[in-house]
Amino acid sequence: MKVFKVFSLLLITVGLLISFNSCGQSETGPIEIGVLLPLTGSQANFGEMEKNSFELAKEEINKAGGINGRKLEFVYEDDSGKPDVGRAGAEKLISINKVQLLAGGYSYSVTFAAAAVAQQNRIPFLVNTGSVDKITQPEDFNLTTEDGDKFYIYRLNPPVSEYASGLEGMLSEVIKPSTVYIIHENTTFGTKGAKAFTKTCDKLGLKVLGTDSYSSGTVDFKPLLLNAKKTNPDIVYMISYVMDAALLMKQSRDLKFYPKMFIGAGAGFTMPAFKENAGKASEKVVSATLWHQTLPIPGATKYFDDYVAKFGGDGPDYHGAEAYASAYVIKDVLERCNGKYDSETIKKSLDKTDIMTAFGPVKFQSYGKKIHQNKMNTYVVQWIDVNLKLIWPRDLANAEIHYPIDWAKVWAE
Amino acid sequence: MDIFLQSLVSGLLIGGLYAIIGIGMTLIMGVLKIINLAHGQILMVAMYITWVLWNFLGIDPYLSIFITIPLVFVFAEGLSKYLLHPLIEKDSILPENQVLMTVGIGMVLVELARSIFTSDYRSIQTSYTEKSLYIGKISLSFPLVIAFIIAIFLTIGLFYLLSKTDLGRSIRATSQDKFSATLMGISAGKITILTYGLGSALDAAAGSLLLPVYYLYPDVGPLFTVKAFVITILGGLGSTVGAIAGGLVLGIAETFGATYISSGYRDATGLVIFLIVLVFFPGGLKRFTKV
Repeated sequence: MKVFKVFSLLLITVGLLISFNSCGQSETGPIEIGVLLPLTGSQANFGEMEKNSFELAKEEINKAGGINGRKLEFVYEDDSGKPDVGRAGAEKLISINKVQLLAGGYSYSVTFAAAAVAQQNRIPFLVNTGSVDKITQPEDFNLTTEDGDKFYIYRLNPPVSEYASGLEGMLSEVIKPSTVYIIHENTTFGTKGAKAFTKTCDKLGLKVLGTDSYSSGTVDFKPLLLNAKKTNPDIVYMISYVMDAALLMKQSRDLKFYPKMFIGAGAGFTMPAFKENAGKASEKVVSATLWHQTLPIPGATKYFDDYVAKFGGDGPDYHGAEAYASAYVIKDVLERCNGKYDSETIKKSLDKTDIMTAFGPVKFQSYGKKIHQNKMNTYVVQWIDVNLKLIWPRDLANAEIHYPIDWAKVWAE
Repeated sequence: MDIFLQSLVSGLLIGGLYAIIGIGMTLIMGVLKIINLAHGQILMVAMYITWVLWNFLGIDPYLSIFITIPLVFVFAEGLSKYLLHPLIEKDSILPENQVLMTVGIGMVLVELARSIFTSDYRSIQTSYTEKSLYIGKISLSFPLVIAFIIAIFLTIGLFYLLSKTDLGRSIRATSQDKFSATLMGISAGKITILTYGLGSALDAAAGSLLLPVYYLYPDVGPLFTVKAFVITILGGLGSTVGAIAGGLVLGIAETFGATYISSGYRDATGLVIFLIVLVFFPGGLKRFTKV
């Protein structure tokens, strides 16, 4: 009997604890928002940059009085760049931390896996980096574009198919190429990006001479580059992360591969680490980008300078800006919740978002197959004398396009 | 033809580096009878040592071999003596436990590296890292050529050690038959510990040689653990000559796969060869070498 008593007492205690927990977040403490980022693993470099940016924004917001008097708090969960870990992380944030809004989402595959969890639990998920198109396409969640009120995923960054939209103008007005060779990493991000750019080429009347992929972490890109060189393309378009990008450029220089222009699709090509690791081979390389600190967006330069002052290093690129902007969107959304911070109220508030952030204007729209998608411009930058300069659109540019390029001279020892 | 030659040369150069990574793993596999799943992570440690020496003291990455090798040797000795060896002595514990231990060591090393150096990508820029040599239309990356030459010297040195010295004979004896070796008066326990250090030291040399052509971050290791594993199986478990052949075959196969099939299938090409060898030549390439 005694055993039974002890056991039942235990059960009751556990039951009480669970019921206390399920009361959710307290009414006066900080408002907790779950953030899913790769803090370990091969993408940790970007994850750290985004975490720093979330923290920077949080401090500024709390210093300025928080959300209607309550403090904002981010609960980070490490997805280590793996979809299964990300899924578990999202589940933990929702069921144990009881967050009513998820943010973050770096890699496309992790983000998509986590989005499914958020959708299932009816917790809004504000994605700020995961770029594969299907994340904001309700049809991939067995919904239609009419189901906005049942669709809990929102995205602040443009999808991968629109990364290069800023390039179109520059290509048709300045470079006027007739042939292109596409090199991409063999991931969803790379493959989808290559497909989207092939479509762009068709539109511009460009002939795609070849498309080749590689797996990230390759030591020797020469076979790939030789195949590209053989076709003698006008431009080479590359979708690569930072270190692959650096090796691709270094080895192109080794092989004396001189197309009219090397164009990167954002991702790695705009990072300071690209310049450091590619060395001379980074010079005059052009890249599409979603953001640059010198853009005439209010707060962009300030964010960049504050980040460098606080965390040192070379400063953030567009990934950091996305995270920073996401934090401010969250602040704006929560402030419009009138003190009720449950998932449904937050979702309704997200629908009405229309603010300016350091990353650009944020407003969730429906177009094509997508809903809850922020539509924005992309830009073109070029590495000129070891600095990243904005060269397109022309009315915003802070440097002239360096073109045509005499690679033999630019890349001389 | 140019493309064919270029691929062959690139493959050989990379293969040379793969070979010394593979030899290190093979030595360990031969004597300890375990797969060292921390092999790539030890390579990473060596790369960080090389990077620190270059970044803070300005020591040339190739000269730093003389510091990296002893440091990693002592470090691996420690790992082997205090973490791996105690597991052999317990009869009740299966040899698999040592393999699990290497997995654990690997994880700890990665996270330690992350907490010390953060996840930032590092690389080395010297006056020669961006240089290339040209023979006709074929370009040879200068640092890879140096690495290849040093790799050859290291391999010759290792062969001298294994075939001509008492220590080498003891290592080979232990790897062939531990029990008989003990009867012949060889302290098998000491040799086992030492071999882990030796294998890791070769791995360390590979790390120093790789850094000028590649880059470094805490998670760089697993990539090379897999390569080392494939090479070891290709070469025939525990065969040093086999590992050299395995390294070169893997390097060339990957490069040709990348040239003539698709770069996206580079790793797949290596693994297909791996499967073919496993199915048709279960003993690995050592069948053809008889060493």
